[in-house]
Amino acid sequence: MEQSGNVKTILECRNVSKEFDAYDKSGKTEVLRDISFSVKENEFLVLFGPGQCGKTTLINVLAGLETATSGEVIENGKKVTKPAPERGVVYQKTALFPWLSVMGNVEFGPRVRGQDKKTRRETAKHYIDLVGLSGFEKSYPSQLSGGMRQRVGIARAYCNQPEIMLMDEPFGHLDAQTRYMMEEELQRIWQSEKRTVIFVTNNIEEALFLADRIILLTNCPSGIKKEYIIDMPHPRSYVDPKFLSYRQEITENMDKSL
Amino acid sequence: MSLKKFVDKNISVIMTVLAFASLLIVWELVSRFTKAGLFLPPASLILEKFILSFKEPIGKYTMLTHIGVSLYRVGVAFGLSTVFGIALGVSMGYSKLAEAILKPIFEFIRPIPPLAWIPMSILWFGLGDKSKFFIIFLGCFCFITVNTYEGTKNVDKTLIGAARMLGASERQVFFDIVLPSSVPYIFAGLQIAVTAGWSAVVGAEMVHSNEGVGWLIVMGMTYGKTVQIMVGMLAIGLVGFVLATGMAKLERRLCAWNNQGM
Amino acid sequence: MKGFFEKNKYRLISLCSVAGVLLIWELVTDVFHLISPMMLPAPGKVLETFIYKLTGGVNPDGGSLLQHIVSSMKISLGGYFVGVLIGVPLGISMAWSRKFELFAKPLFDVIRPIPALAWIPLMILWLGIGYESKVGIIFFAAFISATINSYAGIKQTNKVHLWVAKTFGASNRQLLFKVAIPTAMPMIFTGLRLALGSSWVALVAAELLAATKGLGYMIQVSRMLGRPDVIIVGMVTIGIIGYLLSSILEKLQKKFVRRTK
Repeated sequence: MEQSGNVKTILECRNVSKEFDAYDKSGKTEVLRDISFSVKENEFLVLFGPGQCGKTTLINVLAGLETATSGEVIENGKKVTKPAPERGVVYQKTALFPWLSVMGNVEFGPRVRGQDKKTRRETAKHYIDLVGLSGFEKSYPSQLSGGMRQRVGIARAYCNQPEIMLMDEPFGHLDAQTRYMMEEELQRIWQSEKRTVIFVTNNIEEALFLADRIILLTNCPSGIKKEYIIDMPHPRSYVDPKFLSYRQEITENMDKSL
Repeated sequence: MSLKKFVDKNISVIMTVLAFASLLIVWELVSRFTKAGLFLPPASLILEKFILSFKEPIGKYTMLTHIGVSLYRVGVAFGLSTVFGIALGVSMGYSKLAEAILKPIFEFIRPIPPLAWIPMSILWFGLGDKSKFFIIFLGCFCFITVNTYEGTKNVDKTLIGAARMLGASERQVFFDIVLPSSVPYIFAGLQIAVTAGWSAVVGAEMVHSNEGVGWLIVMGMTYGKTVQIMVGMLAIGLVGFVLATGMAKLERRLCAWNNQGM
Repeated sequence: MKGFFEKNKYRLISLCSVAGVLLIWELVTDVFHLISPMMLPAPGKVLETFIYKLTGGVNPDGGSLLQHIVSSMKISLGGYFVGVLIGVPLGISMAWSRKFELFAKPLFDVIRPIPALAWIPLMILWLGIGYESKVGIIFFAAFISATINSYAGIKQTNKVHLWVAKTFGASNRQLLFKVAIPTAMPMIFTGLRLALGSSWVALVAAELLAATKGLGYMIQVSRMLGRPDVIIVGMVTIGIIGYLLSSILEKLQKKFVRRTK
């Protein structure tokens, strides 16, 4: 296991590329090109890139839901081949189980892994409280607003005690106001219970608000363009001069073509 | 409250009453004062006979028994077809091997209307209840199987991924994700099946039986008793309506989570 | 060669499965005589009868397969067209005009739960056992599916589409014909398909009870004559025609209703 200082490397992505067959089967569409990075324990890493290309695929490869055409993903020294509880995913479309209540969704992970009812209920309750949904334990996802559903998604991922959380544009479907609120909430949750997070977004403000480190991706195929360490104390302000200068710098380096 | 406001507020009730009133009045007038009365007994007479049929037997039994017998036949066959239909649909939807083996045979049987089995089922099971169970079973079975199959095929792949990510085993994915997410489809199938089953029992009893609602109307035909036919149709329609609404209510209860769709 | 097996693995399994069923059928009838031919004739015998009936054989039921098919089709299509011609406009107008809906829907809802088969006695009593009574029965089967689906199709018209058309100054008539009906087309077509299916099912019932020709009559009479081979030929023919009818409409639907979402 690679050690740097006292901080452990949790996950490493080595030269990952991914191609799909083109629609007309005439050739290949390259989606990910030679992506390498690593993420350290309790780091909040944001993968930021414009457009619609490749980011979800990257998350799926990291989660083990898809396999890379070449390259590999190493978690704690072991190669990732299939989805596992160590890597929790928060989906853009929430992917909550609609037939289960909030409690049922949050306790799903511990339940299928055979934890006894009392312990898992307590853990689930703790995370439902943490994301601010106390009192909604019995509600079904269809009865909740978009922001609340995403909170359930976060609690569900947390409750499974993963080593690393993969978040695929979790606030992409929310309106601007809710989105700001959820960013603040996520920051608060993360501060109170630190986890290693890889967060994918196409929104620069969101990236700057949350990240310890930002990796800027190119557009179609996605590859790594540049990396930024964001050294600002939390909570951050959108109008902080430092925030704005980061924003300008990153925006200038972004791929403008679509 | 002014009259206009009252009319506006209760417009749907008023129109419904108006619709039925005009239908019944036209019917009553036609049957009492024209020659069509020979074929069309007055509505009031049918209603009267219908109510009377709960006290006075038609054939050997009163109306309640006729309905009861028909419901019993549907109930048994519907129960069996639910069990077999869901089992077959799920296995075809979930396992490619089962699909390859069973689907061609199922697809061959599916387009044959249940009533077309009547002659064969009489040869195989005789004229009794068994033969009727068989026909009604076939009437329900296909709908339940097809819908369950569709439901299991259409499970949201992201949900399966999410469950795997949370640590669910293959077995748990099946029981905790695939099955519950097919429930709305299965219910849609059950709803069609209960109507189809009711229709099949009427058909089966019309071809051969000694009691039941289908028997009622066929006997009416044999002896030219239009009133008995229409009383029977009234009973068939009412029970069919109750069955369909009952299933819809049950669905809304059990699939409350599916209300707004996700 | 191996690639071929790998690629068509499931198709081959399907083929084996069908062959297996036929083999078991042959074994229990012709080879080991486990089931009396009066209960289940051998597959070879069924095939023989099928060819005989198809090539114009009239025994034992008094008509060749083609004659029965033509007779059944005439009735079923006749009732179907009448049912659709009345059902579709009725469904559309019930969904479009609130006043008409309030008046007509309750009446329709009374007829709706009565299965088409239950009309048989009344139709026969009123119209005799000829062509008209059977067309009447099929009418009810087709009419109900056609009405329900057209009604539902119009009802689900996207409000936004209607608003957009209104802001462009469309009249009520234009809204109906240019926006609502095109939106409802897929549903209406589904209704037409289901209606054809139920017409075909109801036809069998009608012919089982009272007829002198037709596929339903053929299987019913063959039971009394103790000819299970003819019954199976009839059942299979009914199944195949039902399947063909629904796939023809499905093809038509795909061709004419392309802009569906």
